[in-house]
Amino acid sequence: MELDPKTMRTTKPGLKPVILTLIVPFSFILGFPLLWKSVEIYRSPLPFRGIEAFSSQLDSEPVHFRCQFQAMFLGFNFTASNDVAEAIINKMSLLNPNSSQCGNCGAYEVSVVIDSGSSCMRTENSKAQCPFKCGEEVAFFGGKLSDEDVDELLRGCLGNVDGGGNVYSVVVVNGGDKEAEVRAVVGKYRHAWILGRVLEEEALSRVAEIFAKVFMNGRSEGDSIRAEFMPVGADGRIVLSFSLLNAEPRDWIYDWNFREIDEILLQPVIQSLQPIANITVESQVLYHTQKSPFSYWDEVLGSHISSTKDLPFFVNSNEWHLDTSVAAGGRSKMLQLVVYIPSAKECPLRLELPNGDLSNTNGFISPMWGGVVVWNPQSCKKDLESKDSVKHMISTQDIQKFSGILMGQLRQLLGLKSDNLYVGQSGTYVLQGSEKGFTQWELDVLSRNHVCFNLYSCAATLGSLSRLVQSLPRMIITDEIGKKVMISLEAAKFAQSNASAGIYDASASSSRQARSLAEDSFFHPSIMSISYYSYWHSFIIYTPYFLLVMKPVIFPVLSEWKRYKQENMKFVAWKAKAK
Amino acid sequence: MEFCFLRILKLTMKVLVMLLLFLGNIKNSTAYFSSSSEATMHTNNWAVLVCTSRFWFNYRHMANTLSLYRTVKRLGIPDERIILMLADDMACNARNKYPAQVFNNENHRLNLYGDNVEVDYRGYEVTVENFLRVLTGRHETAVPRSKRLLSDEGSHILLYMTGHGGDEFLKFQDSEELQSHDLADAVKQMKEKGRFKELLIMVDTCQASTLFSQLQSPGVLAIGSSMKGENSYSHHLDSDVGVSVVDRFTFYTLAFFERLNIYDNASLSSLFNSYNPNLLMSTAYYRRDLYQRHLEEVPVTNFFGSVMETIHTDSAYTSLTNKNFGGAKTKTFLGQSFSSSDINSVRNSDDEDQFNNLTAEEDQHDEAGQCIFCAMDSGHLWSFILGNVITHESVDFFVCYGLVLMLPLLVFSTWLSL
Repeated sequence: MELDPKTMRTTKPGLKPVILTLIVPFSFILGFPLLWKSVEIYRSPLPFRGIEAFSSQLDSEPVHFRCQFQAMFLGFNFTASNDVAEAIINKMSLLNPNSSQCGNCGAYEVSVVIDSGSSCMRTENSKAQCPFKCGEEVAFFGGKLSDEDVDELLRGCLGNVDGGGNVYSVVVVNGGDKEAEVRAVVGKYRHAWILGRVLEEEALSRVAEIFAKVFMNGRSEGDSIRAEFMPVGADGRIVLSFSLLNAEPRDWIYDWNFREIDEILLQPVIQSLQPIANITVESQVLYHTQKSPFSYWDEVLGSHISSTKDLPFFVNSNEWHLDTSVAAGGRSKMLQLVVYIPSAKECPLRLELPNGDLSNTNGFISPMWGGVVVWNPQSCKKDLESKDSVKHMISTQDIQKFSGILMGQLRQLLGLKSDNLYVGQSGTYVLQGSEKGFTQWELDVLSRNHVCFNLYSCAATLGSLSRLVQSLPRMIITDEIGKKVMISLEAAKFAQSNASAGIYDASASSSRQARSLAEDSFFHPSIMSISYYSYWHSFIIYTPYFLLVMKPVIFPVLSEWKRYKQENMKFVAWKAKAK
Repeated sequence: MEFCFLRILKLTMKVLVMLLLFLGNIKNSTAYFSSSSEATMHTNNWAVLVCTSRFWFNYRHMANTLSLYRTVKRLGIPDERIILMLADDMACNARNKYPAQVFNNENHRLNLYGDNVEVDYRGYEVTVENFLRVLTGRHETAVPRSKRLLSDEGSHILLYMTGHGGDEFLKFQDSEELQSHDLADAVKQMKEKGRFKELLIMVDTCQASTLFSQLQSPGVLAIGSSMKGENSYSHHLDSDVGVSVVDRFTFYTLAFFERLNIYDNASLSSLFNSYNPNLLMSTAYYRRDLYQRHLEEVPVTNFFGSVMETIHTDSAYTSLTNKNFGGAKTKTFLGQSFSSSDINSVRNSDDEDQFNNLTAEEDQHDEAGQCIFCAMDSGHLWSFILGNVITHESVDFFVCYGLVLMLPLLVFSTWLSL
């Protein structure tokens, strides 16, 4: 029988060719995950859930600070200490309706001690002694001591009360001369005192006002924290740049002993502000720095007058090259504190306020920029005899005068007031000044405000960063960024826990660290969206290559499979025929 | 294959989780201090002036930018708040008949390159990347302060760009392009980080208004010299210098500002209405849907002039007058900050350790390498390899695994073909 090789075959077709051609696509499929993994970009794992949780937690419950207040009354006949405490709390909530907002003491407790000489009462949460020794001492020494001495006396005495830390106290002593005025003084630390003949109701109002308006709010009138009074840079630093400007060196040249100013005046201030910002100081003396001419001569007052509406144009930035710092980093905040010495043509130069009075400080600030003080030389007459310009040193008395003004300006730039008297609803209060520039309770207020600001800023920055990172799936995220974000979240949690515990300065420094790390990671130079293309882009780039390469891989398989099928049909046909 | 399936499953789960997180993140967390721009005080003005063209025949773009620089300085913005980017040097160009002088009018009355020009980015430093870095603030650490846009929440920024442009792009240096979506993205990031309170974008190129078509951030006002499909033309040719010296849009803008001084109160709407399409030979189109205020109420000095919010200092801080200067040094009280720095440093090291524990995955692979394979049988071998491939990123291991995998394949195929 003849076999037609085209239609029949006697042996079963082999599968070897098919298997051989299958090996190549099979190895492709095998190696594909390896290929995919090798082009994967490195993205350090960012804690997106953690960031989201942090932001939502800050939104739902604002940061709570723990504050404790204690009021001590000497020489009063209140009936029940708990009623007194409640009355004070009620008055405080009336004075401060937004107490649950960030920066205020969220939940505060008031303890009361009432020592009426014969008996002594106190609320359960009070840790003070009863009878109240401090009050007796104050009453005894009373008006004979100066404010500073009373302050120190109370500090020594109240410091022994348990707490020591952040307990705000007011000591009210009823007694003294009938004619003497009631004197209310807030000390440098965390206590205040009221001496004089005070009625009960007035005493309660005054105490509530000191607690709510002075200790909690720091005398600010507004509700929310203004961002223009937070001049701390993104890296947690402030650079104070002091400049002495000689407008016309041909008239006179002044120099100052800045090292002395730095050591005596500035170093204590810088140390006390340490939790809030890392402050560095630099100084320079500039010459030929005329200001833009806007003053007129007033015969009556005998001086050149510049009114406050010309103040925005006072700083002549074309001639005043103030920003010459080489040490300040790109993200530090610089505050310019300028002492301007006018030329003989404009000497003496005074500032006129809108109400017509002359300014007694001759200074002004611009928020987030700095401050200027105009200092007029002793005699405005040019020394015509000497041909060369004589260099004068500014005397120490003058330095003392304008350093007080500069300190006031620094306080204004941080959102506090520069004066020492507070006029409240229930009366006036004298506020003691501190040689460190800021009293303890003012530092507490600043710390609280900065903690709030820093934490909210940190949450917003981390939120922006996580949205940005998720919207660019092919962007490389280095380990450095991941690490900074983690540490920032940790620091923020630490700040919040410290705030609830009442440790303000540790809370402020960790919140500052949290914010600066969040800013560092957001502003990392490698996050440039223009460098990272989308999946579509890479798909379009690679498709032509892979399509071409696939052709010699897939087609042989198909053709071999077709051949096998044909041969198999031939075999089947032969078998059928053979049967 | 099992591992393939597992891998795909893991991938899909990751994608789903990311999607959920992304959707969750869309809701903006409201800041405590109000993020709306009405609440913050307007404290300073910044100007970013960009000329993107090089070569001598693009003299007019340089003159445009320098004219605006001069205007803005005259109205009060200081050099430290101006970022000037010039892509080429016309003043000292070899073809400039008037060395060190740049004019914007054929009457040569005004030398724009006068006494006090401070160029921050010059020549080849003017790139799209540097421009976006200036806007977003993402510089390398060594970049000096004068090259950074140090604006804050209270800043109004004027962004002026001129050069050659087209539909949704602006050409930089004749070699790359800034796309409108890149600009919109940069502005969005600036707004999120609070780098401006209000932004005015002025573009003088062909089809200028397409460049800001993708903007979405609030507080942005934009005006372009021409609409889509229109060209922007130069104003006149200076036959002495040999090239056109100014563009029409900028020429009429300057004409408006030459009439002003720092005290003037002209509003933005008067500026925008002063452009006459017949004189410009194109339609100056502005976009105000993202800007909340009424243009009649906004003075031009809000963007073009200097502003300085001033507060008078009422009194000196009195306790410091008791300080003894020049005499015996007062004992300084170190204060209570001792504990915080200690706590901080301790905490820092704790954080580091915790962090290391959190992210360092257990390093199970053996550095000794290939001998491991010999010791295991195939099933364990496979899962071991896969386990390491999925967790470990080392390139060496890919090469190692890949090569080793090819070997049995090679053997198998050779055997088959024999």
